[in-house]
Amino acid sequence: MADTSDIASALIAKLGSDAELLSLCPNGVYWDEAPPGSTRFVIVAFINAIDRGVFGKRAIEEGIYLVEARMLSTVQGANIKRAAARIDELLEDQPLTVAGYTWSTMHRLEPVRLTEVDEVDPSIRWNRRGGQYFVEMSLIGA
Amino acid sequence: MAILTGRYGQVLWDPAGTTPVAIISLNKWVGNFTQEYEDVTCFLDPNRVYIPSLPNREGTVGGFWNSAELAIFEAAESPTPGKLELIPNNTEPTFKWTGLAYMDRSIDCSLQAPTVTGTWKAAGPFLLEGGV
Repeated sequence: MADTSDIASALIAKLGSDAELLSLCPNGVYWDEAPPGSTRFVIVAFINAIDRGVFGKRAIEEGIYLVEARMLSTVQGANIKRAAARIDELLEDQPLTVAGYTWSTMHRLEPVRLTEVDEVDPSIRWNRRGGQYFVEMSLIGA
Repeated sequence: MAILTGRYGQVLWDPAGTTPVAIISLNKWVGNFTQEYEDVTCFLDPNRVYIPSLPNREGTVGGFWNSAELAIFEAAESPTPGKLELIPNNTEPTFKWTGLAYMDRSIDCSLQAPTVTGTWKAAGPFLLEGGV
């Protein structure tokens, strides 16, 4: 049985199993939010999603995912440029294996690069870099 | 009776013209059954006057390209018509247009999932069963 959540899980697993990305973002890869105290991590989140049907069933699931590295500006040696590049190497046109689905495409729609002022301490910054990735999976049997 | 969704529409086809089976990966069909009229307006008529000729029976079916489903493309290669059934909603399977038809085909490939269209034309009586 195809489960949409498994697509996000596969995405997180793909990123979270890469040694280079984890060396750049040692706190890990998370859905929506990282644990308190994290300073270098990757966030995966939904931006938008749409299902496309054929007669009688869902056939294609399209999702736009925000995938970005987030790093606290005060961390020594933080390399967000390389982290974003590594995310792109892992995702751009790379297959995603998910039970119940056939991978169709995964590619970036647009890059993301933001600087965020910390709400608690305005003297520090959060750097965010990555992209919006389009993931299209076809349901097997549709 | 009620207004029903198109989600459970169906297109069935048999190249041999006997027992149609569902074509998968489709999500659209169109039947153009418009009536043709002949203009028989005469001198002194207060307006144009028409008499009906024969109704049209042609249309399209459409959906996604699926390499496991080549019925439309195989049909288009056939010199003989197959049996086509067009069902608005398969929870009312007795209401359907059916008959022999020729099928033509096209594919639209862009950066999205490729879509296919089959263009059909009646090869004989193509009638609504279950009503009218």
